[in-house]
Amino acid sequence: MKVVAITSCSTGIAHTYMAAEALQMAAKEMQIDIKVETQGSIGAENVLTQEDIREAKAVIIAANTGINKDRFVGKHLVEVGVDEGIKNPKGLIERALKTDYIYQDSNVSKNNKESKTAKIGPYRHLMAGVSYMIPFVVAGGILIAIAFAVGGIHAADNKGSLAAAFMTIGSGTAFALMLPILSGFIAFSIADRPGLVPGMVGGMLASSIGAGFLGALITGFLSGYIILTLKKYIKLPKGLDGLMPVLILPLLSSIIVGLTVIFVIGKPFSAINNGMSAWLNSLTGINSILLGIILGSMMAVDMAGPIGKAAYFFGVASLTTLKAGQTSVVMAAVMATGMVPPLAMALATIIAKNKFTIEEREAGKTAWVLGLSFITEGAIPFAAADPLRVLPSAVLGSAVTGALSMMFKCGLAVPHGGIFVLPIPNAVSNLLGYIIAIAVGTFVGAVCISLLKKKVQ
Amino acid sequence: MDITKISNEDLIILNLKSKNKLDAIKEMADLLNKNDKLWDKNTYIEAVLKREEEYSTGIGMGVAIPHGKSSAVKEAALVIAKSENGIDFSSMDGELANLIFLIAVPEHANDLHLKILSELSRQLMHEEMRNSLISAKKPSEIIEVLKKGGK
Repeated sequence: MKVVAITSCSTGIAHTYMAAEALQMAAKEMQIDIKVETQGSIGAENVLTQEDIREAKAVIIAANTGINKDRFVGKHLVEVGVDEGIKNPKGLIERALKTDYIYQDSNVSKNNKESKTAKIGPYRHLMAGVSYMIPFVVAGGILIAIAFAVGGIHAADNKGSLAAAFMTIGSGTAFALMLPILSGFIAFSIADRPGLVPGMVGGMLASSIGAGFLGALITGFLSGYIILTLKKYIKLPKGLDGLMPVLILPLLSSIIVGLTVIFVIGKPFSAINNGMSAWLNSLTGINSILLGIILGSMMAVDMAGPIGKAAYFFGVASLTTLKAGQTSVVMAAVMATGMVPPLAMALATIIAKNKFTIEEREAGKTAWVLGLSFITEGAIPFAAADPLRVLPSAVLGSAVTGALSMMFKCGLAVPHGGIFVLPIPNAVSNLLGYIIAIAVGTFVGAVCISLLKKKVQ
Repeated sequence: MDITKISNEDLIILNLKSKNKLDAIKEMADLLNKNDKLWDKNTYIEAVLKREEEYSTGIGMGVAIPHGKSSAVKEAALVIAKSENGIDFSSMDGELANLIFLIAVPEHANDLHLKILSELSRQLMHEEMRNSLISAKKPSEIIEVLKKGGK
């Protein structure tokens, strides 16, 4: 793996070279190839060639002066002050290798450039968290799908079986880690190691109170910025400053973030959940197609968060009043619309390849499996990375599916399982209509997000 | 590296009298002036302080490297000082500086001198170099250590 860097400071005598040396030392330790061009008082030394740049996976600029970046158009780039290079060369190299930011042509209008830099901060942290989270969603989701395939939809109930084991590993553990990881690594990106504690703790709390991925996004950013604030305002006497990263920061930040989640986020979120459930139950005599649209929107808007969960349990509850041989149109709509978001994202990564990052395209491949297994969480990486575009598209697709499912009078007799239950006799009413409903909504959602998204490079 | 081109035993202070950053810089600049390296001591000190404001020259690990580039400098020179009690240079790692290098560079510095300084900066990133300098007891030892360092 090869990386290139430029270091430069205003006087060009000392920091320029210290940063270069630090980066070279760190790269050697990490067994990464690095070439560092120094721009000091003496002039440019060790100049990067076209080939160097072409071969490099990422570019690091550690400079306090303006550097001409024309050579780096199209490359992954991280730009920081020169003291970052001296202080934390290892972290800087790691960040450069992970970053999704690609340097565009500098001949963009002033406004565009400003907004791009303004977006970089929080967006970069968000993408860091998402990139760590994706493998958890993938591994966990596929294990759940395998559990269903091997053990049927009641796989978890058969304690001691292989299917139940898969379910425990996938759903009980890998999936359970998804939100703490998302929150934890957003915080890590903002505040480095001290961010991990409140970020992970906050994410796990958000998960346990049912706040979903939106809750985890909140705790991630909150944790990161709280650590930065604590670091800024707390100054300990010299002998005690070893306690900062080990005791003071983790303790104080966890208290602040934790209490915020429980008292500030928890109450509204559970209120939303309860309110939605109560409202659904109060709908009598409603037009069934409208109900389908409502359920679909709820399933998609927060990807198995408080609102989606309310819709889901509404669907499951409708199964309890069924007589033998009957199916529930409500449950059918709920499951179909829960499959659409990940399927729509998967389809979008194919028809609009150039609008998704490499990691997202990979996540898209697994989103097929997850969508087909009714694991809505498969869409979370996409939603977390770009909520303003993904959520409306998902809602649109799911709403269409919900409407069609109701219109075709599709019914379902089981609470979960996705594609695996379709072949079960008597589980689904109007199978053909059901498949059409899911397919159409998937297509609509995919087209919508493809049109909304901008090219990545 | 041929450190003797920009420094020598006369430009070494084994134990700084000063207790804070400003005094230390003044004490060391004084030595530069006495050795005829500056046209104007005060203008030079201003340049150093201005640079300090931009961002910390306390690079951590007990080392500080204040420097000034100015037309008030006659020829490139380096003062090396040790402080037993340590001086606060607002280091990146919060530590006091025990080893301080004050650098003076004229507006249009000789390439050779700049090369020596860049080599010195690189050397300071290595722990063994810093340790050797800290444990040196005599000015001649310090010069020896610096001479040996580098390619």
